[in-house]
Amino acid sequence: MTDPHNIPDEPPPLLRTWPQVYVSILVYLAGVITLFYVFTKAFAP
Amino acid sequence: MTAIDWAVLFAWLIFLVSYGLWRGRGSDTANQFLLAGKTMPWYAMGLSIMATQATAITFISTTAQGYSDGMRFVQFYFGLPIAMVILSATAVPIFHRAKVYTAYEYLEQRFDSKTRSLVTAIFLIERGLGAGVALAAPAIALSVILGWPFRLTAVVMGTLVILYTTTGGIKAVTWADVQQMAVITASLLLAAIIAVNMLPSDISFLDAVRIAGAAGKLNVVETQFNWNDRYNLWSGLIGASFLFLAYFGTDQSQVQRYLTGRSIGQSRLSLLFNAVAKVPMQFGILFIGAMVFVFFIFIRPPLTFHPRAEKQLESRAEYSQLQSRYNEAFERRQSAARAIKSGHDAASLAEFRSSQKQLDSVHADAVKLSGEPDTNYIFLSFVTRYLPRGVIGLVLGVIFTAAMSAISGEINSLATVTVIDIYRRLKPGATDRQTVFASRLGTVFWGAYAIAFSALFGQGFGTLIEAVNQVGSFFYGPMLGVFFIAFFVKRVGGTAVFVGAIAGELAIIAVSRTTHIAYLWYNVVGAVAVIAIATAIQRGAGFSPRGASAPQP
Repeated sequence: MTDPHNIPDEPPPLLRTWPQVYVSILVYLAGVITLFYVFTKAFAP
Repeated sequence: MTAIDWAVLFAWLIFLVSYGLWRGRGSDTANQFLLAGKTMPWYAMGLSIMATQATAITFISTTAQGYSDGMRFVQFYFGLPIAMVILSATAVPIFHRAKVYTAYEYLEQRFDSKTRSLVTAIFLIERGLGAGVALAAPAIALSVILGWPFRLTAVVMGTLVILYTTTGGIKAVTWADVQQMAVITASLLLAAIIAVNMLPSDISFLDAVRIAGAAGKLNVVETQFNWNDRYNLWSGLIGASFLFLAYFGTDQSQVQRYLTGRSIGQSRLSLLFNAVAKVPMQFGILFIGAMVFVFFIFIRPPLTFHPRAEKQLESRAEYSQLQSRYNEAFERRQSAARAIKSGHDAASLAEFRSSQKQLDSVHADAVKLSGEPDTNYIFLSFVTRYLPRGVIGLVLGVIFTAAMSAISGEINSLATVTVIDIYRRLKPGATDRQTVFASRLGTVFWGAYAIAFSALFGQGFGTLIEAVNQVGSFFYGPMLGVFFIAFFVKRVGGTAVFVGAIAGELAIIAVSRTTHIAYLWYNVVGAVAVIAIATAIQRGAGFSPRGASAPQP
């Protein structure tokens, strides 16, 4: 069992640093919203 | 329901409870029972966080929203990835390094006992109401579909939850949720495939999407800003970000999940997994609702989706006249949909809208006559009428356990807060064994409370469910403001933040009474009010900023 008083931090499994991971998540969100916007416009009545 | 469906339903229930009991074994210290010994991998925490939100209401109500209001509700989740990124960078390392069992324990380290007590009381009131509703809402719908008495349904669900949550603590809750999430995803995919496959042979998947679009159901993104519009791009990106920051950063039912992580990195990954997966998942659920709408353009829907109300209507004198009006509108709408499929011209679109209006009007008359709203039965009606034998039992079983999953997380966190933030403060010398015993007792208490609440007030409170959901937005904003100050504004102390929290709450009440802005904005108002007022009080009155400064993320 991990000692609860010794909580280690660790590098992310993808990309080099956590801030890079955070930026990639926000870019992903922007991409998803853009995709949804195009979808909305493509099938609008 | 056939014998096969009942067998599948009970087999799934027995499997899930047994699995939870098995995975929760060995939870006999406070650290194991409340934090799973801090051994959880990211995927278990991530799926558990997702399962807690994928309640029975998600199946019942979100699909109905896709059916009736279209897909714009997905915008509510645009704030979630933003909140997850902020919390991964701030709250996760702070809580881990503070070595706390609850988020509110940290407030005493940072401020003082009165601030901790205030926020603890807010959580117990808000989440306590939520636990009652989380049990009652699905129990009402499932009791009608399964043909069980409502109170029996609530008692069965509540007792099963108490059984594995009391025995295995957070570990049982988390691992049961992992299984739950896998089966939820599979059954949703199955429902979507079946809905599309059962369309007439001349209607392709693309035709179905085109018809749903023409009917206005694929309104995923609305860019126009409107304070009073509940779901648009801006309320999602700003208002919902505040709500999710508060929910995942200050609500113990969520904080406790990522505190079980074996490292800060694992806890971060569990939140970031949700940041990536949640929006597409909600899109998928709403899309199923839109496809069920198209399905019922070609397969005649019942006058009302509520099974009991439908039977009552059959004995009414107005029934045949309603049926004939309904059939006429249905035929008109179907012809218009086929015309849209072929050409999508303005005339066929106008005809479609006119026939839809006629159909809605007859449906509203039927609902009024029966006195039973049927929104929550749209997806359940589709499942029980059109899915194959065996699959019906599985989907209903999943909805049943989705409700259990949400309740288990809630009563587990309520018990944890009761023990850590109340019992251990009243009895500081409590041994580990006494703490575990008190935690189990707390779980039974909150489980019994949820059962009693739903049994006593459950029936006939459709509007109360909506009200209780909105009550969260009354409390979350001030809680977020308090934690924001705790993390980032070192010079503000306990007394200023305590007064600021009360003032923030009053500000929300004032805004709700004097304006019509959508409730998501209450989170912004509450948080900003607490931060501004507490900072002003600190500067003006010059209170001593008692308490440790915030640990660095």
